[in-house]
Amino acid sequence: MTILLEALGLVKQLGGRRVVDGVDLRCEAGQIVGLLGPNGAGKTTTLRMLYGFLRPEAGTIHVNGVELGRDLVRAKRSIGVCTQDDTFDGDFTVEQNLVIAASYFRPRPTDLARRIPELLARFELATYASDKPETLSGGYRRRLMIARALVHRPRLLFLDEPTTGLDPQARMGVWDLVDGLRAEGLGIILTTHYMDEAERLSDALTVLARGRVVARGTAKGVLGDLVGEHVVVLDAAAAPGVAAWLAERGRGAPAGVLGAWHVPVSGEELADFARAFPSVRYEVRVPTLDDLFLKLALEP
Amino acid sequence: MSWLTAAVDWQSRAVVMRHLRVYLRNWYTAFLPPALEPLTMLVAFGIGLGGYVASLTWEGRPIEYMTYVAPGLLAYATFMTAIFQSLFGAFIRMRYQRTWEGQLTTQIELTHVIWGEVLWAGLLAAMYVVIVAAVLAGFHVAGLITLKLGWLPALLPVSFVAACAFGALGLCFTALLPTIDHMNLPVFILVLPMGLLSSTYFPLEHPLLVTLNLANPLYQLAQAFRGVLLGGPVLAPLAGVAVLSALMLGVLVPLDLRLLRRRVLGD
Repeated sequence: MTILLEALGLVKQLGGRRVVDGVDLRCEAGQIVGLLGPNGAGKTTTLRMLYGFLRPEAGTIHVNGVELGRDLVRAKRSIGVCTQDDTFDGDFTVEQNLVIAASYFRPRPTDLARRIPELLARFELATYASDKPETLSGGYRRRLMIARALVHRPRLLFLDEPTTGLDPQARMGVWDLVDGLRAEGLGIILTTHYMDEAERLSDALTVLARGRVVARGTAKGVLGDLVGEHVVVLDAAAAPGVAAWLAERGRGAPAGVLGAWHVPVSGEELADFARAFPSVRYEVRVPTLDDLFLKLALEP
Repeated sequence: MSWLTAAVDWQSRAVVMRHLRVYLRNWYTAFLPPALEPLTMLVAFGIGLGGYVASLTWEGRPIEYMTYVAPGLLAYATFMTAIFQSLFGAFIRMRYQRTWEGQLTTQIELTHVIWGEVLWAGLLAAMYVVIVAAVLAGFHVAGLITLKLGWLPALLPVSFVAACAFGALGLCFTALLPTIDHMNLPVFILVLPMGLLSSTYFPLEHPLLVTLNLANPLYQLAQAFRGVLLGGPVLAPLAGVAVLSALMLGVLVPLDLRLLRRRVLGD
């Protein structure tokens, strides 16, 4: 497999605080790597270093074999970026946005006369080609952002929360497009707050917390390592002894959601729990990436 | 890549071309304002105020007031076009349209964005000067003013360089001011005093103002244009424009880069 991105030991301080602390990341052709973490974990800063927006204080980044720090311009020729916020050019139409974006790359993207209609058709933007981007719905704006990131035929695509704020149908439309890009061999780095999105799309996950990688691997593997095998869900008010039971095992307070506690446990702990609270009503479910976020957010 | 050589990189040109393309979309917004502004000014100051000031003395010889004002209009157009473009135009692109952020996801770097804005201020001002010059030529042909018309094209490169320096000055405020409402500060603290105390519309002979104006690039520009178009001293004010522009670009572009790196990249 071709390695499109290899980042080693990235460090970045912002405002005197170390927001990224020794992050490693790797992405191969035809792979989607999900970069996850709670707010303030350092995802956006990491992403911005990876696509050359920020310079790391330590560490190296290779994009398609080119070291970003040595030849930024050449490395960026292989990169496409879809930022979290819409950053298309509001002075131009949908189609002109693609033309203008292409003018920011050398060697110049070839065969634009065919490439642009092809992108407009693929992202279902042909009808809106002469419209201003701000007249588009949220889903179509995202499509334009992704299409613009692809106009120069990059090999590595960064998608920073590409479906935030979209309705379910629009989200699934974006998923299909992203899945198709993976099938064509693009390497994709995806950040998202939607756990279902990360689980469905990502081939591998890297989880950040407080600027460090706390887990990496498949969604199932990451959950097993960081959360546990099961999650016990119970009414917080109905089980006053649970906090003490957790404290005995050196665990902090469980995550509370709408008056319910979600307690991640191993198989052994589940058996202990059942023995300790025979009269408490509870439900056992498989852990999700939501549990991981809740756990990371609660950790000091 | 150094901050200086970035001025001639293809990325800086690509940014300029983007601005030019936006500007040329509507001929009436592109060409009417710079044509109407000198017309209004010449009518208001030349015919209106000039009615009371029939003639004045410049470089020891009497001169019609409208003729005195005409070269000043070219200098003033250079200054105002460049400074307003780099204050308001750049601020809107940076803050509200997020054009810069979109450009920075490509092979364009912040240094190119800044040079693109500076060079665009220069180019736009030079285009305005062409249009203002055409209006002045019309007044000359109509016998309302007397200029050495053949020298008009020679003013363009001077206007371009000075406007780049004014653009770099405007970008400092774009980098520092939190909102567009705060633009009143540079307008009233810098732009209006510089504009009104530059001998553009009337000669300033108070010794203090004359001394202060040695450091005013707009004054030097107005004097240089006047010297070229009316036949007077050229070398000294032209050297003043060159030195002040080089100084401003050499100091302000790196400062812009430093300030905007913090503001745009958060770095």
